[in-house]
Amino acid sequence: MTIEFLQSLSEMQIVGELTVLSLLIGGIIMAGGVILAKIAKLLFQKYYAPTLPKDTAQNLSKLIYFGILIISFLGFTSSQGIDLSGIMVAGGIFAVVIGFATQSVVSNLISGVFLIVEKPAKHGDTIQLPDMGISGTLLDIGTFSSKIRKFDGTVIRIPNEKFFTSNIRSLTVSTVRRAESMVGISYKNDIENAISVITDEILTTMPFALCIPEPEFRVEELGDSSVNILVLVWHPRDDWSKVQPLLLTTIKRALDNAGIEIPFPQRVIWGAKD
Amino acid sequence: MKTMRNDSEINFSNYGEYDINDNLDLFLPNTEIKIQRISDNTFSYFREDSEGKITEKIIPVKSNKLKIELSPIRPLNHPARRTDNIFLKFDKEIYLSKHSAASIFVHCPIEIGIFLIHDSNREPLDWITCNHLNSRFGLYGSPDTGTLCKYAKVSLATDYSDSIPYVEGVMKIVIENTLSSGQIVSKVIFPITDNSLYYENSKTIIDGIKITMKKRALVNIADVKIIPIDSDWIKSPTWEDNTVNTSMTMGLE
Repeated sequence: MTIEFLQSLSEMQIVGELTVLSLLIGGIIMAGGVILAKIAKLLFQKYYAPTLPKDTAQNLSKLIYFGILIISFLGFTSSQGIDLSGIMVAGGIFAVVIGFATQSVVSNLISGVFLIVEKPAKHGDTIQLPDMGISGTLLDIGTFSSKIRKFDGTVIRIPNEKFFTSNIRSLTVSTVRRAESMVGISYKNDIENAISVITDEILTTMPFALCIPEPEFRVEELGDSSVNILVLVWHPRDDWSKVQPLLLTTIKRALDNAGIEIPFPQRVIWGAKD
Repeated sequence: MKTMRNDSEINFSNYGEYDINDNLDLFLPNTEIKIQRISDNTFSYFREDSEGKITEKIIPVKSNKLKIELSPIRPLNHPARRTDNIFLKFDKEIYLSKHSAASIFVHCPIEIGIFLIHDSNREPLDWITCNHLNSRFGLYGSPDTGTLCKYAKVSLATDYSDSIPYVEGVMKIVIENTLSSGQIVSKVIFPITDNSLYYENSKTIIDGIKITMKKRALVNIADVKIIPIDSDWIKSPTWEDNTVNTSMTMGLE
């Protein structure tokens, strides 16, 4: 009964040598391929992905899924007796046309591969792209684009090509980071005394400021109205928000307590006399 | 802000276990802890520390009693847990001539943990430091490759009884110089996570370390090993950070 049914299907021609039976077999191959791809992706995500970096796991997962789908498709075409050599010739010309039309897409894809291989930053790193004025946490390096969560909570998508070719400043590679602030003191005040009181205030009131290396001071400029001192304070990598935003407040408090003047911009005008 | 009492007027609370039926006040240098019953099976916890920071917690209990332990813990939690290493900078340098050894006692900063006691288990409830000014970070090495440590400038102690209550314990350090030249030792950097603390009344001692300075290939290295203390003093429970971030559908954490 079943054999007779299959025989009848094999005799029902759709186009040329394409029969309903061969189409059914092709459908089964494709469906099997899709199911196999999903199972393989699921098993990979469950057992192997947790041991890999998140972006690597995501990309390997996609590679496995689409790899099985492509193999299934090739099985489907060969089961239908489709000769791909003819398509290859047309495909070559088509590829050139598509290549021109989608060069940015391909460029993003290739850049994505390079980003995965080179690993200038990994998932969860805090990075800065100075060329684009973007700072935040790297969420994902995808096939065509990367996502960064900015410090204001929004997520920005950057094409991989731009991401790969821009300068990437990693803020989480070193154990410690340095906060900086500039302050101007009056010419009549003693620089050494100002440095001493600022150091004491920083080490006393800022628990995340490192004692070793000690806060560093550089007299940057003898300005129009003030002696400008650059204050450099090291802190643990993850505690930028507990040091940098408070640094100027701390410096001002130290100078106020010591009676050291932070001068306003001022200009001395001499009038000519006859 | 509430003004705390002058430390000189206060008899500070000793380390140890406390049974609480209704309320308990614990006094430590610059720090007050109050635990009060607020209902049959609930206690409130209030703490004002040396920086004026107030912490309040509610403690539901199964029985109608609460038992806690106040004990010294490793100095790794204030202002935040960032490292397992400690950097002890000696106020005076120690000179060791070639092929010699020395045994010294040093003060080592401590923090104080408050643990809930359930049966024989200790669960961390809170921790404090009574000297936040000596609880800072330091970097050993260069900024790109260095090791972040808790940093403390310490003085030499005479013996184990020289502990400064609630602030500094005493640690024995044995330094052996197997090199063929004299060495100056001004600081010690090591992971303190395997050193246990022991207490008696208000004093603390800490497992010691043995440092062996030796030559490996062409490089001088210092090998550090722990020397456990054989003491009658009570061993402090281990403080583990119990802060767990749990994501829930409705945003409860």
